[in-house]
Amino acid sequence: MVARYIFRRILVGTVQILSLVIAVFFLIRLLPADPVSRFVGLNSSAEAYAQAERNLGLDRPLLTQLGHYLGVLPSEGPGLLQGSLGTSWVTGTPVLTEIGQALPITIELLTFAFAVALLISVPVGMLAALRPGGAADRGVFAYSLFAGSQPEFWWGLLFVYVFFFVLGWAPAPLGVLSPLTSPPPPVTGFITLDSLIAGRPDTLFEVLHHYMLPVATMVFILSGPIIKMVRQNMVRALGSDFVLYARCAGLPKGQVARYALRAAMAPSVTLIGILYGFMLGGAVLIESVFSLGGLGQYAIRSVLAFDYPAIQGVILVITAISLLVYLALDLIHAVIDPRVAYG
Amino acid sequence: MGQSKVTAAAALAAMALSGPLYAQDLLFLAEDVPAGLNYDGPAAAIPTSQTGMVNVLEPLVGYATQAANDTGVITPDFDSFEGRLAESWSFDEASLTWTFTLRQGVVGCNGATFNADDVIYTFERAKSVSGAAPIGWFLSNVASIAGFTPDVFGDEAARALGPEVQKIDDYTVTITQSEPNALFLPVLTIFGLYIFDKEVMEANATDEDPWSHDFANNTDVAGFGAYCVERWTKDDEIVLAANPDYYRGAPAIERVVMKRVPQSSNRVVILRTGQAQLVQGLTPREYDSLRDADGIEVGGVSGNENLFVHMNFDVEPFDNPLVRKAIAHAIPRDQIIQNAYFGQATPWEGHVPSSYPGYVAPETQYEHDPEKAAALLAEAGYPEGAGLEAFGEAFQLSYVAEKETTLGPIVNAISTAMRGLGIPVELNPIPQTQYGDRQLVKRDLPFAINDQEKPIGVDAGYASQLFFVSPEKGGLNNMVNYRNEAFDEMWSKARVESDTAKRDVMLAEMQGMLMDDVAWAPVVEYTTQWAYSDSLKGLQWHPDNSIRFFDLSFE
Repeated sequence: MVARYIFRRILVGTVQILSLVIAVFFLIRLLPADPVSRFVGLNSSAEAYAQAERNLGLDRPLLTQLGHYLGVLPSEGPGLLQGSLGTSWVTGTPVLTEIGQALPITIELLTFAFAVALLISVPVGMLAALRPGGAADRGVFAYSLFAGSQPEFWWGLLFVYVFFFVLGWAPAPLGVLSPLTSPPPPVTGFITLDSLIAGRPDTLFEVLHHYMLPVATMVFILSGPIIKMVRQNMVRALGSDFVLYARCAGLPKGQVARYALRAAMAPSVTLIGILYGFMLGGAVLIESVFSLGGLGQYAIRSVLAFDYPAIQGVILVITAISLLVYLALDLIHAVIDPRVAYG
Repeated sequence: MGQSKVTAAAALAAMALSGPLYAQDLLFLAEDVPAGLNYDGPAAAIPTSQTGMVNVLEPLVGYATQAANDTGVITPDFDSFEGRLAESWSFDEASLTWTFTLRQGVVGCNGATFNADDVIYTFERAKSVSGAAPIGWFLSNVASIAGFTPDVFGDEAARALGPEVQKIDDYTVTITQSEPNALFLPVLTIFGLYIFDKEVMEANATDEDPWSHDFANNTDVAGFGAYCVERWTKDDEIVLAANPDYYRGAPAIERVVMKRVPQSSNRVVILRTGQAQLVQGLTPREYDSLRDADGIEVGGVSGNENLFVHMNFDVEPFDNPLVRKAIAHAIPRDQIIQNAYFGQATPWEGHVPSSYPGYVAPETQYEHDPEKAAALLAEAGYPEGAGLEAFGEAFQLSYVAEKETTLGPIVNAISTAMRGLGIPVELNPIPQTQYGDRQLVKRDLPFAINDQEKPIGVDAGYASQLFFVSPEKGGLNNMVNYRNEAFDEMWSKARVESDTAKRDVMLAEMQGMLMDDVAWAPVVEYTTQWAYSDSLKGLQWHPDNSIRFFDLSFE
């Protein structure tokens, strides 16, 4: 039953991705800009311009370009079907390799940030709901006003100023490693895992130290909506009939709260999943402040340079991950919420 | 924050460092790191990529230097060339042939020795036009090297290197021009004709990629420069190690880490803690804030960066010279220098960078004079701007949106001044790529400000050909569709004039025409700057604005 459900979802997801890929392919070509002019930015001649255009394949008919991109025209070289996302027009590197470098950084950042944010937000949200108007509740209110009042890059810059420049607790915002530390040999692409595999605890410590401030900034930003969501859902659950019944039945407070939490978590998990997918491309400001070189920064660079293959690659990867996250969410939902059935 | 607190904070922060820099290492923070090391590759036009290339590769000839300016930055002497990989050269006017005697005993990063084969390989590769952007071919064409014609794009046979670049013996090479052209030596100093190490490049070639573009785009590039690539992660960092065999002596700085820090304010903070010793790409305000900081120097040069107002001759009402003159007189230059550049700019009095040979400031100038501007506008038939609203779209002042921080105050100053005269200016920020497309390809931007034109050929004639010769007569980037037959005619004579004095007279006359016609409305020349630790010495400006780490040393 579950396997069939997953299979069907993946099938539908593939169709969704394919439609999106084709739509994006045409949409970026409709934009009123010309990627070739950046190439020949050295005041080059018309001949040089035409040559650059030929090299990019932009002189071919649109459908030939699409066929090449999808990989259905073997004469044009490998495409999506053959597992190739093309070559970046900015760097000449395969897009897959570049995304393979940028994506792990963003995933590590988001995973650490979400883990810490959940560890903090769920208990705080619960407490605020259990005692409305109490210290936790008022604290949450003040914090959400405070954190939400400034954009995240501002908080990032402020944190850098205070924790690096003034206090010296954090390392310089120079990425995940100090400039003179050689990175561990890449195995998984995730630098924390690679440090472990290479048996270099000192490097692992250094990486975690470098993640400290960007993660703290993200937690500061992310916790607001998560706490609010948990609190609201918790309040709703606490007011529901089954909690009233549990209370009437004289169950201990802790047990009632646990029941309520389980009911409150289902919608919260959805929000967290959506936030995660959104943040894959949306963590760009944090990445920029801390020089992390993640997927968001890669996406922005690609868009600004009109690097078509890279833009298409980033959208494809973010869509695929988001679809997988949503699938995982639905599966988790089914575990949490007995009312959900695979249909 | 007081100075003592800053120092204490710097000390604390330095203690928190997990990877201390060694005495001879340099941490250089920039807005990006090289996206490629291939000058015929896709990243050639990106300034930070050029920084990578010029430190790993070496030219045949370079400029001599002159004494440091008042901020301590050494500048080139554009009238004097000196040998780099070429030890000496001679020119035979009758056959238009240059004979280069190459330096012996030059060793590259991989141990290969430099000789004539490397020069031949470099020009063969340029003529193959096999890369993403044919920069090497383009420069050879600009220098009138015979055989480097547009034919290479149609005819495969034309892509083979002929007798125009010839090996005489292991250390002698001749290069023949198709016509006299004073740009020959200046062009050889440009990074797009730096010499490759043939042996290593060929070792990294494949059947699909015989000219090793992938290698140079993604892994390394082989030449005979002062530094070798030790580690390179695009979008993150490049680590360069000194080439101990470098022919001008082993570099004083053994290792350079060029690190990408996208936020300029973070580059400032890290420099102030002492962890980084050199930063670039700050805003004028940030440079200003560092001028009095302890242990930090800000050095700069009025090199070739400038800002001008672009008015399209093909778009009404800019086809009317009176309107162009009125606008030129309405630009509040002093206000722009003070409020946008914090004094780090000077009024630009010509159409060519004032540091370039052949530059003159013509007699005609358009100083800020609102009354004169109003009178000219009335004379043009638009008293107090009446009637200009009919050209609504033409007065959208376009600028590159990504440069909002620096250009924002400038466009605001200009539009306020124009509106004061009744000119209905609207601001129109557009992305860089769109700006580039409309400027270079469509040439349909009616009204814009531009701060990014740096002619890479250091010569008033080159700048004239590039921007102002009619497209039909070989103008390459005539973004305002300026057409003046007398100008074209004079350039066709100046181009092949071998007597420098005569050529300079013609170039001066041409620059006068540009000013009389308001081909552009020049605004300011702004300072190209760096901020660095006061223990770092030897900073030198080069016309590509890329630092050569070989120039630097620690006190």
